[in-house]
Amino acid sequence: MPLMTRTDVTAVKFFDNYVLAGIGSQVNVFDKNSGSFLCKKEVLTGQKIYGFVISKCRQRILVFGGKKFTVVKVKVECLDTDMLERCFEPVVCNDWLLSCLWCGDTIALLTAHNVVQKWDVSSQTLVSEHASKDNSILYSGLLVPLCEDVLVMAGTVFSESIIHKCGDKVPLHRLRGHKGVIFSISCEPDKNLIVTTSDDRSVRIWSPKTIPMLPSNSLDYWQNIDIVCKYELYGHQARVMRNCITNSYVVSVGEDSVICIWDFEGKLLKKNTAHQNGCIWAVDYSDNLLVTGGGDSGVILHPLATNKHYCESQIINIDVGMPKRVLLTARRNVVILNDEDDLMYYIIDSKKTTAYKLSHESTYKLLSLSSCKQMVAVADMNGKFDVFAESCKNEPVLVNLIDTKLHLGKILSMHWAGNRHLVLCSEDGNINVLAYNNNTELYASFSLPACKERWLTSAAVDMKANIFVLGDRCGNINVYVKGKRDPIKTFIKVHGRYGPTSITIKNNHVVTTGRDGAIKYFHVDSISNQFNYMNRKDLEFPWVEKFLDKDDNLICGFQERVFVVYNMRDSCKVLEVACGGGHRSWDAQRCIIKTKDKFEPIIQLVYVKNSDINLQTYFLNKLMSRNLIKGSHSKEINCLKVYKDSQDNTKSFYISGGEDTTLRISSADIRHDMNITFRDEVVFKHLSSVRTLKLVPTIPNGLLVISGGGRAQINIKNVQFIKNADEIEVESQELVEYLVKGTDKERKGNQSWKNCTVDFDPETRIMDIDVIKDNEDLFIFAGCSDAVLRIFSFNNTFKTITESKYHKTCILKTHCFRFLDKDILATATTRGNVAFWLIDDLHSKDNWEPFFIVKTRESGVNSIATKVFDNNILLATGGDDNSILLHFLKPNQGELTSLAIESTWSSSNYHSSQITGILIVEDLLLSTSIDQRITLFKWNIENGIDCEYKTQMYSNVADIQGMDVLDVSSDSIKVCVFGKGLEVVSIPKHSN
Amino acid sequence: MGKTSKDKRDIYYRLAKEEGWRARSAFKLLQINEEHNIFEGVLRAVDLCAAPGSWSQVLTKSLRQNAANVDDVKIVAVDLQAMAALPGVKQIQGDITKVSTANEIIQEFKGLKADLVVCDGAPDVTGLHDIDEYVQSQLLLAALNITTHVLKVGGVFVAKIFRGKDVSLLYSQLKQFFEYVTVTKPKSSRNSSIEAFVVCQNYSPPSGYIPNMVNPLLDHKYCDFNQFTGPNRFIVPFNACGDLSAYDSDTSYPLILEGQTMYEYKEPVQEPINPPYKDIIDKTKKLQIKNS
Ligand SMILES: C[S@@+](CC[C@H](N)C(=O)[O-])C[C@H]1O[C@@H](n2cnc3c(N)ncnc32)[C@H](O)[C@@H]1O
Repeated sequence: MPLMTRTDVTAVKFFDNYVLAGIGSQVNVFDKNSGSFLCKKEVLTGQKIYGFVISKCRQRILVFGGKKFTVVKVKVECLDTDMLERCFEPVVCNDWLLSCLWCGDTIALLTAHNVVQKWDVSSQTLVSEHASKDNSILYSGLLVPLCEDVLVMAGTVFSESIIHKCGDKVPLHRLRGHKGVIFSISCEPDKNLIVTTSDDRSVRIWSPKTIPMLPSNSLDYWQNIDIVCKYELYGHQARVMRNCITNSYVVSVGEDSVICIWDFEGKLLKKNTAHQNGCIWAVDYSDNLLVTGGGDSGVILHPLATNKHYCESQIINIDVGMPKRVLLTARRNVVILNDEDDLMYYIIDSKKTTAYKLSHESTYKLLSLSSCKQMVAVADMNGKFDVFAESCKNEPVLVNLIDTKLHLGKILSMHWAGNRHLVLCSEDGNINVLAYNNNTELYASFSLPACKERWLTSAAVDMKANIFVLGDRCGNINVYVKGKRDPIKTFIKVHGRYGPTSITIKNNHVVTTGRDGAIKYFHVDSISNQFNYMNRKDLEFPWVEKFLDKDDNLICGFQERVFVVYNMRDSCKVLEVACGGGHRSWDAQRCIIKTKDKFEPIIQLVYVKNSDINLQTYFLNKLMSRNLIKGSHSKEINCLKVYKDSQDNTKSFYISGGEDTTLRISSADIRHDMNITFRDEVVFKHLSSVRTLKLVPTIPNGLLVISGGGRAQINIKNVQFIKNADEIEVESQELVEYLVKGTDKERKGNQSWKNCTVDFDPETRIMDIDVIKDNEDLFIFAGCSDAVLRIFSFNNTFKTITESKYHKTCILKTHCFRFLDKDILATATTRGNVAFWLIDDLHSKDNWEPFFIVKTRESGVNSIATKVFDNNILLATGGDDNSILLHFLKPNQGELTSLAIESTWSSSNYHSSQITGILIVEDLLLSTSIDQRITLFKWNIENGIDCEYKTQMYSNVADIQGMDVLDVSSDSIKVCVFGKGLEVVSIPKHSN
Repeated sequence: MGKTSKDKRDIYYRLAKEEGWRARSAFKLLQINEEHNIFEGVLRAVDLCAAPGSWSQVLTKSLRQNAANVDDVKIVAVDLQAMAALPGVKQIQGDITKVSTANEIIQEFKGLKADLVVCDGAPDVTGLHDIDEYVQSQLLLAALNITTHVLKVGGVFVAKIFRGKDVSLLYSQLKQFFEYVTVTKPKSSRNSSIEAFVVCQNYSPPSGYIPNMVNPLLDHKYCDFNQFTGPNRFIVPFNACGDLSAYDSDTSYPLILEGQTMYEYKEPVQEPINPPYKDIIDKTKKLQIKNS
């Protein structure tokens, strides 16, 4: 059994206190209440699991997928792998299975050609077979028990669901209305409900026109009803894959990663996104829980709750004036600024309001709340200035501490930096920092560099480092130290046109948010005076406002008119409220409240809409989902490398890039062989798919990660693994972001974040890169889809060195190796050519040409490996033609550039599809392919190159794109294959 | 993204427009023929899963060159989708997995047999490779089933195949009906795609084989004919087709190609038929949940 399998989760099921998940051919069992992993077992061997059906006595579980089925028993008293007992080797049917049903000791199976097969379970023999007349391919189907027999619901490709009694030639009903393939059917006869979902993005609820007085499990009932489509529901932006009918809801899940909860009248009650934009393949429910399995390899438990369960809302009435601004305080009360010069304090518990007259001269008012949410500062443009504090104990009151007039000219902005400093910006970029200590005093003065709208949008202070970090309206981030008027560092245009929305400083890290959909991270070291931009995280909504909790896990913002709360750790939205948008006055905070001797985390949201102050409380326990298995890439992984850090041997790190345009660094806790916990540590975005990545170790405990892909993008990051107590933290710095000229819009956009040194067509894809390190210089060889080989160097700056147009077609692979004390580059193309290039003195090369070419095949070379021994080269290539080729190359009289083919070996007998991974390890050769097999050979050169087949394994990962070696021991070799997911397997070396 | 970016990304998309083909697939059939001479002497052909019709265009053009009299050429095109008319091509709208469709095709030939059956059918992929491979193999088997009714002994069958984890089972099945089975990948088919074509030559059904459309042909299982892992027993030769000078679909070419002096953007020959759920996209857009 593989050591770790992460791929599409295609079946989930609640069973008593357990959650079952089908991951590839394995059943994984979790505890429903604690969420902890219990065990996993290989059950369907070589076949994905698509369904679990529990027998009536709840003793047996039928597991099926593809053409196979078997039965397992859960033995509660046993632990670990013994907990699941497989009753028999999987039975292979002659057709694909769509639905199964227990009928005593017999099971009924529905196949994709609309045939019902009945099997005797104890003897595993086919008892009878009942074909239907409508026998074109079904994409979904459902068997429903009848007291007489079995009812068949067949979901066809032609948008029709056909209902017939098993064995009958004439269908009872044809449900027409969908406009595409039917992907799922569920039925609750007791509720008189059928729900179908389709390619056409709709969910349809069907019911009998009139409900007959007949038991719904009788054939009579089905013969005497007229089924009509009651509701045609739209909530998904893509194909709707599955649905289930719970006690009170219809739940649908789709390719758009969305879970919709509808009531039986078709009202959409809740819509939330999970699984990181991957397709959701499976859903099940139990009481108040939902479980989903997705294309991101994740399994998630969700509270099955709707607005009425998790939200309390009220409208606050103020007697005087119209509310203009609102804030939430530490004690969860509301501060309101009205249009009649009053500052009001509304106490939630007593529902009392107190008002304070402000005596403002100007209607341009500024209001700010300190980080501790206890201090409220309010000022008008002309300098009338008040500070209020909320009492921390006893009766909540707001006390006026300061009531004065400042003479700072026209004040344009005012922000608290922390709890003690107020940063005011007046005309001409005059910034004054007032410190509050029973009284206010001028603490520091700064000058904001000239810009169009010269005021601030956010501020933060780090007293230890003695720096102020101020964000201005033009999007810049300025770092100041007390005593110097001008910024000691300015990061230009970090957050677009509206300026940073929030700044937080914590342990040498500055985190900023903005209305450009991003969070940006900076590293500050005031001792060495080093201020560096590190990296960014792009969120799914354009307006990112601020963190809601101290752990920086929940972050809020807006997506058009919708208020969004996002969970950073799980990369998913927690809450969406259509409140009207961020331009109105609003505030939100996360806090803990006590309800019936229970502490509960809540989100408090206040906003003004149509002059009403809406106050809402959201109970997070009924909103937050919980990962049983954390998801990762939602589409194919194209490239992956494994890294082990010397500081911690309980973990390995996976650096991977994929079709979902992300580059991820994930950690795998490998302490428990059978329960490797895998999670993404950091996720970076590319503009397009990430096709290739290489690692260059740095000293100590670091890596340069060089990645490339679509839109001609190459990125370089510096990644540090920092040991912090027991944990290793991954810290990364973006060194080169991209170098394509990009689209017109990007070209005009701000240049400061990009290295626009190279100019080639953005439609070009970087197919593969390899890297060599020469002293401090890094040389990067990029094979591109426009047939050009491009060479770059990197040493603080990224430069183009040269390029070669020698190849006439797309370059698929670039591969560097050392040979006779020289660096050699091998390039391979879609036409099967492998060219060898000598890397020396690259700077003076104008017309770089390869010194040796091998034509391996007519079609593309999809994998390449070399091994140098005794001054010879062993070249292994795998191709689109299913073949593995070995070339044994010898230099003529030891002359490096006069290579000749000494002997060759080839075979296409071992894989039936494109060979996407090849490795030479010692005297072993490993290959892998889209056909989901991993083959081990042993090579020798006794009489010319020869290769002997040793063993082959099946992998659960579809669309394998390559593999990497994790570990080689004396008797086995551990590799990770990747594609649609990833899998780690250990292959015995001496098998035969 | 600009209008020309698809032209830049996909040379064959662009060439199809320039040469008047309804789809870039045309080049796949042309390139298969270059390598395998599948049109040699062919007068009657069936084009299964034909919409929007570029293979039918290629067939019309090529078969007419074989005929002394244009009327001897017979092409029947079948697809689920409606397809714009093509002179000389008899169209049938239907599902190739249905008996009724097969009967219609058989009737069209009035007792005569076809020299060539081609099938470029592809299902709407779900994203789960094993399901997609299964559905694709069922299309291929349906096409094979029709073929057993209409193809003359010695005839040729060409079909799209997904080279997935169980493809060797299909090979073993095809080998029961044809003397030569080759897998071929046209240069116009992307290196990264799992799509390839089987070229099956010299139709020679097992003796005593009676074509039967009522029961679908089911695919083989492991253990019957092939092992699940280990060396393949059914080895089917692979070749890449399309001549050496052919463009390569993975390569990004400049808009002004070698030997050309100018580039002009061309509209697609046959605008895609609107997706059936076009109106649905609009409905979904307007949707919002009310929270209280
Ligand atoms: C790639 S297109 C064919 C392109 C065509 N060869 C050309 O050159 O224009 C695949 C076609 O298969 C059709 N198809 C899929 N399943 C089918 C079925 N069961 N019966 C008939 N046609 C089907 C689709 O409607 C689609 O038009």
